[in-house]
This record gives sequence, structure tokens and C-alpha cells, in this order.
Amino acid sequence: MELREEIAGEVAILDVKGRIDSTTASTLGDRLSAALAMRDRRLVLDLRQLEYISSAGFRVLLLAARRADESASRLVLCGLSSKVQQLFDLGGFLDFFQIASSRDDAISAAK
Amino acid sequence: MRRPPNIFYGVDDKPPHGVTVLSGLQHVGLISIILVYPLLVTREAGLSSQASQDVLSLSMIVLGIGAILQVLPRGFIGARLLCPPTFTAAYLAPSLIAVKTGGLSLVLGMTAFGGVIELGLSRVLRPLRPYFPSEISGLVVVMIGIAVGALGLRSVVGGTTSQSISEHLTVAAITLGTMVGLNIWTKGAPRLFCALFGMIVGYLIAAVAGMTTAEDFAAIHSAPFAGVPGIGHLGWSFDLGSVVPFLVAAFATCIRTMGDVTTAQKINDADWVRPDMRSISGGVLANGLSNITAGLLGTVGVSTYTSSVGLAGATGIVSRRVGFAIGGIFIVLAFLPKASAFLVIMPGPVVGAALLFSASVIFVNGLQIVTSRMLDARRTFVIGLSFMFGLAVDLQPQSFAGMPAELLPFVSSSLVLATVSALLLNAIFRLGVRRTRTLDVVPAQFNAVAVEEFIEAQGASWGARRDVIERASFNLVQSIETIIDGCNPTGMLTIEATFDEFSLDVRVSYEGAPLDLPDKRPTNEEIMASEDAQRKLAGFMLRRHADRVAATHKDGRSTILFHFDH
Repeated sequence: MELREEIAGEVAILDVKGRIDSTTASTLGDRLSAALAMRDRRLVLDLRQLEYISSAGFRVLLLAARRADESASRLVLCGLSSKVQQLFDLGGFLDFFQIASSRDDAISAAK
Repeated sequence: MRRPPNIFYGVDDKPPHGVTVLSGLQHVGLISIILVYPLLVTREAGLSSQASQDVLSLSMIVLGIGAILQVLPRGFIGARLLCPPTFTAAYLAPSLIAVKTGGLSLVLGMTAFGGVIELGLSRVLRPLRPYFPSEISGLVVVMIGIAVGALGLRSVVGGTTSQSISEHLTVAAITLGTMVGLNIWTKGAPRLFCALFGMIVGYLIAAVAGMTTAEDFAAIHSAPFAGVPGIGHLGWSFDLGSVVPFLVAAFATCIRTMGDVTTAQKINDADWVRPDMRSISGGVLANGLSNITAGLLGTVGVSTYTSSVGLAGATGIVSRRVGFAIGGIFIVLAFLPKASAFLVIMPGPVVGAALLFSASVIFVNGLQIVTSRMLDARRTFVIGLSFMFGLAVDLQPQSFAGMPAELLPFVSSSLVLATVSALLLNAIFRLGVRRTRTLDVVPAQFNAVAVEEFIEAQGASWGARRDVIERASFNLVQSIETIIDGCNPTGMLTIEATFDEFSLDVRVSYEGAPLDLPDKRPTNEEIMASEDAQRKLAGFMLRRHADRVAATHKDGRSTILFHFDH
């Protein structure tokens, strides 16, 4: 898994490339925790290049969403491929996360 | 089954009567183009013009009966989809040979024989399915699209001189432009009846351009308003020497019907994933009955009409009621020679435009069916080489001129050669493909990508559906990841994948604690609170992703079976 961070104004964008599984989930979890550590953070998680996500990955995303709630921050997901979207649906997560159809929409929603 | 957004009247819908009749007329116009086939045979048989008119009328009755048989809502006859028949080149070629050797009676007897063969084939399609995989059905549809398109182009420029070709092209362009333009940029009635409106515009422009001759008008004028078709030309005979050509015709027609019914299924269902064999068997059976009827009533062989299936998809009216309307209109027209004469004089450029319109839809549907399967090197060559061989018949016909007479039926058209080639190559290349493959995984060296590549490579060698392999791939990787994390496996994990065209079974077995596969999802709070609940989430997702799961634990060894319908 590769992570790349960009800043667009007040919004931080984290690009995730590759696979989120039991071996990589903790790396992503640490990065998300750091990004959402302070109050009022705006974070977009761009999953365009995500190839696979396992239950360990979903757990990390759930924990990040809870942390965002606790710190009055905002976490928006975007770029889900049809395959990844199917996995979100399979796990019952489509209604739980804020998911935007494009990166620009995600940045607008995060502001 | 989920209706695609471009379908306005689905297969079970009941459109208003006006829509039903106009849509039926639209199909009748398109199907009538091929009424020239029985006329070619009657000409070879030397029948009088009155007898030819009788054959034409009886042919319409056959088309009517065939259209109705395909849409019967109950029982085992019919595809239960809108896929009316028309006369087919597959039967025309052997019929033109038979009429020279044994007269019209031999054509009729052998056509009925072909129908009986199709009846038999319809009953054994299921066990033969591995030999008729989806990608070959798709190839057949592609070849039909090309054949229909080529016929359309020939119809546009056929019989033209250097002076008249521009007129023909103009009429064809306006007709085709009307059909396509109405289809793309309009809604409601203009879109629903774009082909009919296009044909009407084509008739008018062709008349203005002087393409409708005095002979055409005389043919309409001299035809009686109403009349019962005569049966004086009827007679039947059988000849062993004609068995092979008509056997090939029956096989080609069966495969074409399979392709057409598959296309109709796909047009009807946004969630289409696999051919429905009941519908296909019913469709082939109905076509066999239509061909027995054709033989008994004195005309040549029929097959489901790909252009009509394409037209239904393009206009978004696929209701079964339209099939009954087509049947009714044809049967009525059979007793109205003046009206049927009007259809017979359809100008070539209008015929060509209508065929090109349908061919576009057919061709793209065929490509989609081919690419719905994963294709490894074997399957790539089955499709690629057969496609090239088929094209060779059209592009290099002289290459086949010196072939032995008994092989000529196999190269009678690009469709037949491509189909026969694909069936043979598929049967040959199946040799050596193992239905069951295993892979051992060492937990400490688990490489998810290698496991994915294993199942994808097997999927391609089996010609499995891409979506099924993707689901199996996720279940394999997620289950192994969860087993390694939570079940303390000792020794190697063994993956066994078995495929048989109807299902894909994937087993993961190992020494260790069984994997929990709950049917109730843990809550988000539970998942966040513990990794154990996270593993339960994995088990829940695995259960949901497969069509069936089974877990056993015996003597310390656990096995999980994921079953996927195919």
C-alpha cells in the first residue's frame, strides 16, 4: 500500500494506492489517527487506486470515522471503483461513510 | 431480473394497443425484407407466378406461427421473449442445391427434417453447454451482425450503375439518418417507431427518386385484395444425400437461435450474467417446430431474426404482446395479397438502411457477450481464429472454390464456417484443461497477489465469468487472511478450485480452528471494539459474497466451501 498526502486549501487529501489488508491496515490507521488528531480537520480519502480492502481495512476506516466525530472533524471518501463499492455494500458500509462521487465533490463536501 | 433504463415496455408489460400494433408493423417491415429467400427457391423450382405468390402467403403464415410460438407465456415451447423468426441463409444454401436435385418437394421434406433435428437438439442443450460456451454464442452474434450489415450494404448498392449509385446512397443515407436520428435525439413515439418512420420516409424518397418502377405498381395493382393461398405446389420427399447439408443448417440455426435468445435475455435484464437455458431450449424447440411447419406448408427454413432482436433493443419495446401482434399481422397479410405485395417491393436502399440499423445493435451485443467471459490463450484463439476463418469466406471466396463438394456446406457462409470452426477448436482446446486445480499456501509466506493470480489464471482457462472469478478471488484472499490472523493454522493451507460451467466451488482446508461464518453482521461498535468482531465481519462478508457456504471441522482439520453459481 502507498499513501500520498496533498493539501487543497483547508482540506487534506490522502491518496491510497494498492491494498488495505491485515498487514497494511495499521499503517493506514496510524496515518488517519495523526491526520485527525487535532480538532476541526477536513480530510478526503481518495480510494481511486485502491485494489482491495478486507475487514481489517474497514475496521480502520470505522475507527477513523469515530475519531473524526470526536474531534469535530470531517472525513469524506471518494473514488470508489465498482469493485470496491461492491465490498462496501457487502459489508454494509455504504450508508455509514460519507462517500462522494468525485474528488472535487469530496473536497466541497469536506469544507 | 432488472429492467434496463432504455427499455420502455418490458417483456411482461402490456403496451397500449396502438403501440403494440405499430411496433408489430415495424418488425413485419424488417422481417419482410427476407421474404426474398423463398422467392429465390421458387424461381429455381420454376414455379408459376401464382404458385410463387401462394408460397409467399404460406411463408407469412409460417412467420406468424413462429413469432407466436416464441412468445407463448407458459409451457416448454418458446423462449418467452420477443425474437420472431425469418428465413435464414443457413437453410437457403442447401435448399438451392436440393431444389436442383430433387425439386421443391425435396426442399420441403428436408426442411421438415431439419426442424426435427432442432427439436432433438433443444432437448440436449444443457449437457452440451460446455461445448457451446457464451463466448461462442457471442461470436455467432458478431458474425450475424457482420452478415446482416454486409447484406445491408449489398442491398444499398446492389444492381446500381455509376449513374444510379449516388441516388441509392442518398436514399439509404436519408432512411438510415432518420432511423438513427430519431433513435438518438427524440423521445416517445418517434423513438419507439424510428425504424417504421425511417422505412416510410425511405419509401417516399425512393418513389420521388424513381426507384419504384411501373412494374412494382403493376404488381400491387394486379394482386387481389383478399384470397386464400393455394397449396397445389405441396409435396415432400427425402434424400440421404441431402442429410449432411441440412444437418449443418439445423446446427447453425440452433446456434444462431441460442445467440439470439441470449441477446434478447441480455437486452431484457440489466443484471444479466448467464444464459437462461430453459429460455434457450424453449426457443430452439419453437424454431424446430417452425421449421417443421415451414416444410409442411411449403416454404424454406427459418431462424430467429437477429435484426428483430436488435430492433426491439434499439426501440425499447420488448413486450411479448408485440410477438403476438407480429404473428397476427403476418397471418392476416397472408390472406391480403395486395398488402403483402407492397412489402415485397421495398426499395433496395430502404432494405439496406433497415438492415444496417439493426446490424449495429447486433454487432455490439455480440462483442459484449464475448467479453463477458475471461479469455485465456486457448479461448482467444478459438474466437480470434474462427472470426478470421469466417471473414475469409467473405473476403477470399475464391480460396474455397476448389473444395470437395461434401465440404462446401461448411464454407457456405462466414457464419457457418466461423461457427463450425469455433465449435471444433473449442472441443480440441478443451483437451488438457483440468477442471480441478489446487494451490498450497504457507501461512508465513502468504502472498495475496499470488492467490489472486492463481484463481484468475484458472478462470481464464475455464472461460469463467469475470464477476464470478472476482467474487471467488475476494473470498479466497479474505478467508486466508482471516484464518491466518485468527484460526492459528498449522502447516499449509490447501486451496482447491473446481469448475464445471454451471458452478465454481472453492475449498480452503487447513489444520486449525474453524472460521466463524455468521449470518448476522456485528455492529460497528462491536467491530471497533475488538479484532474478534472484525473477523466475524469477515465471515459475514464471505457468507454473503458466495451463493452458498459450508464449513466443516473434523479431526482438527477445517474446510470451508464457497459455492458460486455460474
